[in-house]
Amino acid sequence: MNDMAAARPSGAPVAAAAPAIELKDLTMRFGADGPSPVLAVDRVSFSLAPGEFVSLIGPSGCGKTTILNLLTGLLHETPEGKLEVLGKPPREGNPDIAYMLARDSLLPWRTALENAAYGMEIRGVPKQERETRALDLLKQVGLGDFADKYPKALSHGMRQRCALARTFALDSPVLLMDEPFGALDAQTKLTLEDVLMNLWSAHRKTVVFVTHDLAEAIALSDRVVVMSARPGRIIADVPIDLPRPRSVRKLQSDHRFHDLYAQLWGLLEQGTTGDE
Amino acid sequence: MNKVLRLSLGHVVFIVAFIAIWEFASANRLLDPTFFGRPSGIAAYIWRGFVTERTLWNDLFYTVLAATIAFWAGSIAAVLVGLLFAMVPKLHKACEPYLTLLNAMPRIALAPLFLLWFGLGIGSKIAVAVSLTFFIVLSSTVAGIRGVNSDHLVLSRALGATPGQIFFKVTLPSAVPIIFSGLRLGLVYALLGVVGAELLAAEHGLGQVLAYLQSTFDMDGVMALLFLLALLGLSITFIMNWLERRLLVWQ
Repeated sequence: MNDMAAARPSGAPVAAAAPAIELKDLTMRFGADGPSPVLAVDRVSFSLAPGEFVSLIGPSGCGKTTILNLLTGLLHETPEGKLEVLGKPPREGNPDIAYMLARDSLLPWRTALENAAYGMEIRGVPKQERETRALDLLKQVGLGDFADKYPKALSHGMRQRCALARTFALDSPVLLMDEPFGALDAQTKLTLEDVLMNLWSAHRKTVVFVTHDLAEAIALSDRVVVMSARPGRIIADVPIDLPRPRSVRKLQSDHRFHDLYAQLWGLLEQGTTGDE
Repeated sequence: MNKVLRLSLGHVVFIVAFIAIWEFASANRLLDPTFFGRPSGIAAYIWRGFVTERTLWNDLFYTVLAATIAFWAGSIAAVLVGLLFAMVPKLHKACEPYLTLLNAMPRIALAPLFLLWFGLGIGSKIAVAVSLTFFIVLSSTVAGIRGVNSDHLVLSRALGATPGQIFFKVTLPSAVPIIFSGLRLGLVYALLGVVGAELLAAEHGLGQVLAYLQSTFDMDGVMALLFLLALLGLSITFIMNWLERRLLVWQ
């Protein structure tokens, strides 16, 4: 592995003062002007300190992805309440944000290297620099030997590794990840979670990680925010005090991990079944 | 490899047997050569046409030239119009009913009109062929651009891509395979259009020769021409396949 961490200015810890992401009483109504508005997100408040890894869990349709889309500025409807990324309101194409989708969305006509460099290419990083950085990231995710392969030649796990490389190569201080491992089989998922943990330890981004998978949320996060079924509200905001660095595989046999699992599962059940 | 060899050997045996039976049947009047020709006669015709009398070269040249020009003109116009439609969806919507109407019409029926407009030279057959190629390539271009993966668009927008970047880095390359299959079909239809127009009337061209041979009941010649046209179509397909493999290695 190369010394990426040394080359990056944004890796340094920031004073605890300003949150990296802040949501205050965020409410999102789709079709607010129409006859039947849908309340997707209901008075959600939470914030992330710089470098913090927070998972958002909750049943399908609870507004997790909506929150991510609001943070990226991809939605054309505006929410109520406060929403800030590094002290600024969201806007489409914000260079402070790297977004990773559930599917790898690799461009099939580009090699792994060209895909890993795609984000930087859009953001105007010079060719030489982006190729060096892309190759370095591919090595970090274990795809160094596959740089010139097209996506069709890569397995699901490898494709998602490549998407991780593309995301981290952007070097944005904030990472938004929407169930990035949701489509993988259990084994591959554990491996990729470890790859993510390694990258995150080396690059220390602020991460909002949306997932259905409770074990994944606990294993990766500093905090887990539990949301209720639609309209999405926050039920609990649970700190995960497992020591780092963590190995997702080893955690599977740690009793604290299972205690947290049981606790969060209870909260999640309560949110799914009940109107309080 | 052995399997491939055995398969091609099988084909050779079949073709030789087919020709032998045909020749035998014609020689013994089991099959009337006035209607079906005769393999030896067909071969003799081709030999005369390309080697001793060399008259077919000229017609082959005209047919291929017309099909090539029609293919390029029709395809370039179609891709450009398709891209314009992608950029101005309202224009596409406005034009769609007329295009559907034109596309539904059997284009070969335009040949008499085009012959009147453009004469017996190369112009009229190019016009017929373009009328076929254009619509095929246009519809594949539109389909290709519509078929772009929405994940790729979301990702690019989140990255801050400009509409121009999205178009050239995502939409266009993702449309290329579908546009290409349209081009392949477009080339085959360009040949169809040219030969069809030549059959009706033309100064030169394989279609015109075919019509003449038919009217003089030269069945060896007709069969030879059909064989030539099939070969021409086949080589088009080969060329396009080769090109596709070269251009779309990522597929």
